[in-house]
Amino acid sequence: MKRTERLVNFVSGRKFRKSWYAFIIAFFLIFVILPTVYVLTYTYTQWNAIQSNVLDNKETVDMILGAIAASFEIAAIVTIIDFVVGLPMAWMLVRKKFRGKNLLDTLIDMPLAVPTAALGFSSAIFWAATPSAMNAPPFALGAITSPMLLIILLHIVFSYPYMVRSLAAILEQIDETYEIAGQTLGASKLTAVRTITLPLFRAGLVTGIILCFSRSLSETGGTMIALSTMANSAGFNTGPTLIGTWKKLSGSNPELIPQLAFVSILLIIIALVLLVILKLVVMKVRLPMGKIWPTPEKILSRGLVPKMKDGFTVLFLAFFILIPSFFIFSFVATSSAAVGDWGPFLNSLGYSFAIAAIVTVIDLALGIPLALYISRNPSKKISHSLDILVNVPLIVPTAALGFSLGQFWTDQSLIPSVPTLLIILAHVAFTYPLVVRNVTGAMEEIDPSYEETARTLGAKPIQGFRRVLYPMIKSSILAGSIMAFTRSLGETGATQAVVSDVVTAPVYIVQLVNTNQYYLAGLACIILIIVSYAAMLLLRYLTRRKQGAL
Amino acid sequence: MPEIRLEGIRKRYGSIKAADDLELSVKDGEYICLLGPTGAGKTTALRIIAGLTEPDSGKVFFDDHDVTDMEPEDRKAVLLSQSYSLFPHMTVAENVLFGPNIRNWSEEARIKTLANMLDLVRLTRRSDAYPKELSGGMQQRTALARALASGAEVLLLDEPLRALDARLRISLRYELRSLAKSLGITTIHVTHDQDEALVMADRIAVIRNGKIQQIGTPIEVFERPISPFVANFLGQSNFFQGSVTYVNGRTEVRDEQGRTVAAGTANVEVGERVAVGIKVGNTEITKEHDGYLQGIVERTLFEGRDVFVDVMVAGLGRFSSRIPAGRSGEFSVGDKVSIDWSPEKATVFRLKDRSLDDELRVE
Amino acid sequence: MPDVEMKDITMRWGNVIAAEDVNLKIQDGEYVTILGPSGCGKTTLVRIIAGILKQTKGGVYIDGKNMADVPTEERDIGYVFQNIALFPHLDVMENVSYGPRVRDVKKPEWERISHKYLELVKLLDKMKMFPSELCGGEQQKVSLARALSTGARLLLLDEPLSALDARVRVDLRYELRRLVKSLGLTTLHVTHDQEEAMSVSDRIVLMRSGRIVESDTPETMYMRPKSIFAAYFIGETNLLEGSIKKTDAAATTVELRDGTLIEVATTDFREGDPVVISVRPEYVYPAVAGIHAIVSSVTFVGTHFRIVAVADSDDKVEFDVPATVEREYNKGDDVNLTIDKRSAIVYARTPGELGEATKLE
Repeated sequence: MKRTERLVNFVSGRKFRKSWYAFIIAFFLIFVILPTVYVLTYTYTQWNAIQSNVLDNKETVDMILGAIAASFEIAAIVTIIDFVVGLPMAWMLVRKKFRGKNLLDTLIDMPLAVPTAALGFSSAIFWAATPSAMNAPPFALGAITSPMLLIILLHIVFSYPYMVRSLAAILEQIDETYEIAGQTLGASKLTAVRTITLPLFRAGLVTGIILCFSRSLSETGGTMIALSTMANSAGFNTGPTLIGTWKKLSGSNPELIPQLAFVSILLIIIALVLLVILKLVVMKVRLPMGKIWPTPEKILSRGLVPKMKDGFTVLFLAFFILIPSFFIFSFVATSSAAVGDWGPFLNSLGYSFAIAAIVTVIDLALGIPLALYISRNPSKKISHSLDILVNVPLIVPTAALGFSLGQFWTDQSLIPSVPTLLIILAHVAFTYPLVVRNVTGAMEEIDPSYEETARTLGAKPIQGFRRVLYPMIKSSILAGSIMAFTRSLGETGATQAVVSDVVTAPVYIVQLVNTNQYYLAGLACIILIIVSYAAMLLLRYLTRRKQGAL
Repeated sequence: MPEIRLEGIRKRYGSIKAADDLELSVKDGEYICLLGPTGAGKTTALRIIAGLTEPDSGKVFFDDHDVTDMEPEDRKAVLLSQSYSLFPHMTVAENVLFGPNIRNWSEEARIKTLANMLDLVRLTRRSDAYPKELSGGMQQRTALARALASGAEVLLLDEPLRALDARLRISLRYELRSLAKSLGITTIHVTHDQDEALVMADRIAVIRNGKIQQIGTPIEVFERPISPFVANFLGQSNFFQGSVTYVNGRTEVRDEQGRTVAAGTANVEVGERVAVGIKVGNTEITKEHDGYLQGIVERTLFEGRDVFVDVMVAGLGRFSSRIPAGRSGEFSVGDKVSIDWSPEKATVFRLKDRSLDDELRVE
Repeated sequence: MPDVEMKDITMRWGNVIAAEDVNLKIQDGEYVTILGPSGCGKTTLVRIIAGILKQTKGGVYIDGKNMADVPTEERDIGYVFQNIALFPHLDVMENVSYGPRVRDVKKPEWERISHKYLELVKLLDKMKMFPSELCGGEQQKVSLARALSTGARLLLLDEPLSALDARVRVDLRYELRRLVKSLGLTTLHVTHDQEEAMSVSDRIVLMRSGRIVESDTPETMYMRPKSIFAAYFIGETNLLEGSIKKTDAAATTVELRDGTLIEVATTDFREGDPVVISVRPEYVYPAVAGIHAIVSSVTFVGTHFRIVAVADSDDKVEFDVPATVEREYNKGDDVNLTIDKRSAIVYARTPGELGEATKLE
């Protein structure tokens, strides 16, 4: 008792608090931000190699630019589609009351729990024309022959939930009174939404766009699997798949490093520019009230149109998101069984889980303090710049991040470049922002007067956190850890880009598909899905047990 | 219970001065109301005393100990926010026991405190309820019990009655004050409601633009305001502007149109530009004799106990008078009336080069 | 100009009844206030009239027309919200012109309209400012101008003043009534503040637990309330418990619990009936004889002192003495009090009713 008291007093001292926060910020900058953008220094230190190996070689340049253009094109199209179909869905979830709302709410999150490698395999079987060796079920669509279209369809599956969730979160914060006020002034529902709610919505929109865009831009594993599953991908590459392929080859051919660096640099720079534009410009531009078309908008607000919109929204979810996600079950059910060696897969599965667990723990331990610092710092400037920095690892494509981080830790000699350690560091870099963002968001919702009251009642800051704040933000912490955990579990791009010869579960599935062992790949996917689901449910159960009161 | 003293407190937020050389001293066990309009710096003063806001300069003393750098949790000064900030995930009992739990009191002491506190605020039967299941008044009482159970020696109340219905607010004024007084706790209560301050405070500190304009007992502040702002903020006043024409025992003031009014003694000189303020409740309107000013009844407003009669005086604007509802039949809109007051009820304010409108602005 | 009628309105949320069988008619050009404690269903009623909520049962008629299938935007109402709800991303001018613009009014015309209403609330000089740059009172004035700019003839005010400072509130309520009356609008105002209700309205409708308790002019509601709840809720009052000792054509005599006799204006009660006398503090006077009481507190409330005393009958009696008199009462003093016969009202007393009637939450 005495000792805990002394500990509480010690950690509550101003000195300790100051150095603790300094440590957290230093960790964030050195272990997350710096490695993420480290490769940018190559434009200075390695320019000659880049010049001679890449820029002087027209074929390579064309290949790189083609892949990157494809990446951004896909990401842009996916984001637009997500927004168009995600907004009505977010609306339904927040503003409407109907039977089965809870079910719908759960269904939307389902693709999040499926590792993207499994998603890529599953949706490719459903959509794409597949080689006959594969024996796709007869009711698979098998119609898509354009690799680009297939990748767009695939990316929509896993980015859609992000868009819906971020839009819904903001929508919940916007006071419905504004819309009602608009209606009492004579605006039809649609006019009120368009002229009042949407402009107030920009913050949510920016978050949604950043998340979707960066997810699509980063995605590697699912994309690679989808491409090798379809009958003829004709050497189609996106930026991240290019990094993945080249990194694998670079083991035997170090000449490829400048190419890799160049792709990564381009991806990182373009992504950062986009982030700055979205964060600074979009939020500051004042939209004029714009034109108003009372009559057509009134017609669109009534009768069949809204019903059709809702119907279409639900159909889209079912047909474009859920069926492709889980099509793999029917594939495995209809395929003839094949015998294989499960040892390597189980090993890789165990390895992946261990990594994901360690990464999640690090994220929580070092992410929550940063979130507290950001949301409760009296200086708006510091909070704001940290907040923008947190987004950096999110928007930088993970393959580029992985490559950059790998180079960073091998170029210096502080930490031995043990593969497992590097993978953990890489996964921390891109999952850390998920925890920080979730917790920051929740904290900003909570009136600081709760903690302040606790303090005037005699609670040290750490006691105030434990007893007052933690119970209130528990669900956001949970959401953050689930995201970080599943993200780490399913990630392929960064893993491959950091170390080319370590086999995590999704990397193993990619290998299976590449060697045409489709049935085994399918089974492995299903096992991965089931195991991640179980982990999620367990986590929920553990945190919910003591929450009866709320 | 401690005495509290603020010395030269300054606090700026950008260009806004939330505290501008703020000086205040509160006696042991005293009930003080900080009264002022929104944005006057009342809440900032409260937060500085609680230790939740650090002043840019100046010092805070509790019983002559400098506590400016002391952490809020060590001050035994409990802040009750406007919304009460009851912890939503704890029951009434758990909320009340928050302080004792933090301080690791013995089981026995906790049970005893809980029983006492719940009894004190009459919530024994609701001890297992969650805050959201309670009415506004009960939430406020729970927050009070929680503050007292933590061993508070100073109670800092930030508009504690604002969230409640108007009628309930009136009945809770007495209850809140007598609870604080019976426990002898030093209390600082922030409010924008002058009636509330008059009824509840031992002393009222009228605050504006981060400065204390006047501090004194309700009677002092109400009857002997030192500025037109104080005169108007507490109990609403009518104003007459002009130059002093006579000073001796009483003061006479004449405006540009040659109308002369009389007021109480004041430290002013003949020829000086002044404003004369008369409380609405001390402004007599009559048809029987000629008063200082003549005007026409513009409207009458019924408020239950009293009726407000607004009289338009040419060139001066509206003069209001509050008369008992029983007399409301005497006046109707359009009547020619006279306005009168006893000189000792009118206060003279030196204007120097300030404009009266600036002096009176409440927002 | 419209009149509004509510017929048998009932509103249920699951098991909770927010309004039950409410019948209310508001005349053309009338200023009606619905007054009641939190949770009495008053806001639910205006929201039903506006079409924001759909009633479980009953009908709303504006100008005799059933509103069942008319959406909010076509009911032609002005609505002022408690939380003000100015559009934060639009400036004052854009806020006020929003109504005309969404009704397809063309530019020179909506500019003229917005100018007119901003002028009316004396804020023309602030038309380029954003809501966050205005103080509370100004914000609510803009929101009023915005509600009026649609040309609506029916104005619904949902606790329009409760977010404001006490002082600003008082100034603004006069302003509110002046504007509404000069434009000749039909107005329904919802509030929990009895003083506000009395000073602005032509008629007060008192509600409690989803039902209308009574409805009358402010003067009658204050002077001759029909229920103990109305007497207690609208203004402060002393409630003395007793029973009828004697009654005849000239007067009724009530015996308090300690045997003190009080004479009031004649009533229809019979001898022995248990009753409560309600008398407002300003109609209780110190005297040489009458109700004997001990002073328990003296409080300065501006122009007078409020004195609370406990009578021998255990009833609490409050009365006022002018502040001009030197403080002549102190805690513990004996006083004798009489009441104004004509201003006292006698109600029947049933067991438990008094506690029920004076419960404010």
